[in-house]
Amino acid sequence: MRGDRLATVSTGKRVWRTLVRSLALSLTLPLALAGCGFARQGGPTEIVYWTGWSGHELEVLQGLVDEFNRTHSDVHVRMLTQFNTTGSYQKVRIAFAGGATPDVMSTVWDYELAAYAKRGVLEPLDGYLAKSGRDLDREYTPGVAKMVRVDGRVWGLTITTNTIFIAYNKALYRQAGLNPDSPPTTTDELDRAALACTQYDSSGRFVRYGFLPSSLSLWAYVFGGRWYDDLTGAVTANDPANVAALTWMASYRKRYDLRRVQAFQSTFGGESTANGPFFMGKIAMWQTGEWSEEFIRRYAPTLEWGWFALPAPPGGRRNTTSAGGSVFVIPAACRHKAAAWEFLNWMTSAKPVAEFCWSIKNVPPLIASGRDPRFQRDPLFRFAIGIQRGPNAFGAPPIAIWPTYRHEIDRVEESVMFGGADPKAQLDRLQANMTRELSRTREELRQ
Amino acid sequence: MTRNQRNGLLFASPWLIGFAVFVAYPICASLFYSFCAWDAIRAPHWVGLQNYQRLFTEDDLFWKSLGNTMFMVIVGLPLGLAASLGIALLLNQKLRGMAFYRTLYYLPSITPVIASSILWLWLLNPEIGLVNIALMKAGITHPPAWLTDPAWSKPALVLMGLWGAGGGMVIYLAALQDVPTPLYEAASLDGANILQQFRHVTLPMLSPVILFNLIMGLIGSFQYFTQAYVMTNGGPEDSTTFYALHLFNRAFLDFKMGYASAMAWVLFVITLACAFLVFRSSARWVYYGGETR
Repeated sequence: MRGDRLATVSTGKRVWRTLVRSLALSLTLPLALAGCGFARQGGPTEIVYWTGWSGHELEVLQGLVDEFNRTHSDVHVRMLTQFNTTGSYQKVRIAFAGGATPDVMSTVWDYELAAYAKRGVLEPLDGYLAKSGRDLDREYTPGVAKMVRVDGRVWGLTITTNTIFIAYNKALYRQAGLNPDSPPTTTDELDRAALACTQYDSSGRFVRYGFLPSSLSLWAYVFGGRWYDDLTGAVTANDPANVAALTWMASYRKRYDLRRVQAFQSTFGGESTANGPFFMGKIAMWQTGEWSEEFIRRYAPTLEWGWFALPAPPGGRRNTTSAGGSVFVIPAACRHKAAAWEFLNWMTSAKPVAEFCWSIKNVPPLIASGRDPRFQRDPLFRFAIGIQRGPNAFGAPPIAIWPTYRHEIDRVEESVMFGGADPKAQLDRLQANMTRELSRTREELRQ
Repeated sequence: MTRNQRNGLLFASPWLIGFAVFVAYPICASLFYSFCAWDAIRAPHWVGLQNYQRLFTEDDLFWKSLGNTMFMVIVGLPLGLAASLGIALLLNQKLRGMAFYRTLYYLPSITPVIASSILWLWLLNPEIGLVNIALMKAGITHPPAWLTDPAWSKPALVLMGLWGAGGGMVIYLAALQDVPTPLYEAASLDGANILQQFRHVTLPMLSPVILFNLIMGLIGSFQYFTQAYVMTNGGPEDSTTFYALHLFNRAFLDFKMGYASAMAWVLFVITLACAFLVFRSSARWVYYGGETR
């Protein structure tokens, strides 16, 4: 018995020691692996780059990273994908919270940039840009150049942007008695075309509808409105033009039975799949972006289609689009900032940007990349780049509450479009709520 | 402390450490953070009861989401309990091939929530979904638009929940097989018909298991999240913005970890109060074998 007990004790000790060791190891290992890379003695500085791209886009990006590694002997980039189907990079949030960020990441969305920048977790890039002799305003399209600035400093750079326009089915235009060579230029013309293209079956259900506007956050700009006043620093949710935009969108409630529209929409396949409603002729006009050209080519090669910029009402803004996309940032906690900048500087130069954007069919935010003959030979890209270079490409406003604000704009849009709420009342309420949120957040960020 | 006790603790230590670090500490921390303004990035700072005060006085979505969640508790949960008990009773018959049917009914509850949610998105599709096609065949010319109609979105989720009733069913089934046959024999000798047997033998014998399923279901219903997150993301018109989804959005959309922590504690108190009420009432309706009244 005695011998047994002794054996138990020594086993217990051994087990304990093993436990402590494995626990210590399991706690330190991820810490060692995560976060900033480490410099090997004598070798290149290894930096870690987190990307949100996946699939084909990731392959193209990997090609560029490989090219960088081949041509730069002092820095080695290890790319990790942090793809997340819900689109919100919670892991990024938690990495910032724990100070375990990589050296470079493009897993920050344009709408979150100010929220992070104002919380001091990003490295301002102005010094690096100046040292490398770069001039943002001359290199980038104006919407993007404005979007990456918060409180007068540059916090990130992009390698893609997107132009929003309306694609239309020319055959359906002809069938509806419309001239496919002169698409709408005003909202009135758009409304008429939308109704002309709409068709019901004998029981009153949709065969197709012409057009349904979506994204109040964008249409507000088309109507001459805005969400935030840079000069006064005030929320402008109930700007009369915003109200006009939402009122116009809601006018579609009178044109269609929106409950039926919702039911009809639920039969749609994903927009960019073979069963996409535009490809199937279930909608005649599709509010989309330049990336769709590739999908139309792939899934509806025989579709005869054209495009036009978002039509504006009198006094509105013509050729309006949103601007922005994933933003490349250097976290403030990065330990290899010079190496991180070397990579970021190269990634945001004309050739890699042109290469990446052409491969994944996005608009390049760099003006020089847009001059690449591949883009210039493609009429849609010439159009999309032209709009992006114009004065009416709007990026996210530079306020920390924008992630919440844009979500609330979507809720207002839904409550008006589908719930029948009053546009003015909803935007007044949004104005009050967001004004309060903004002042509270400013207060908190001062503390 | 004897060596045995110490060794016992040592062997339990992986769990104890895990519990302390990953459960107990976060719970305590969240209580602290609920009194702070905290964005999870910068240092938290104490704001006292502000989060709670704003929750009750300013946040209209708090009440709406609580109402949505109560729907699942008051309508969804009893229906789910009744459905799983009903299926269990049917599957407790001594018939050929019963094992096959039991497996069949249990199967849906082991399907991952995400997978079954996506499946039900299609089943509940208003125009081309099998549910509405069946309803139209049955003569209902205007079947509900389910997840796209604020009035029908929650009932749709309840309906979907019934599909997973197999989880509760197996527990009932196990308990049903434990009901002593002599009780039924005695009851039938006394002239009790099948309904009276169910009411006076089966139900009392099952009552501890019903209590268990009720409490677990209560906790689960108050935390209803995944299906709404995957299928509707709170829409249409906030009709499926459940409490947990609202909490998640405040934490990860608004950077308001302190506020979300306060929400979590309010939910905890509500759940605790409901569970307490159920326990208090259980003395009157739960029968444990060996008890006399």
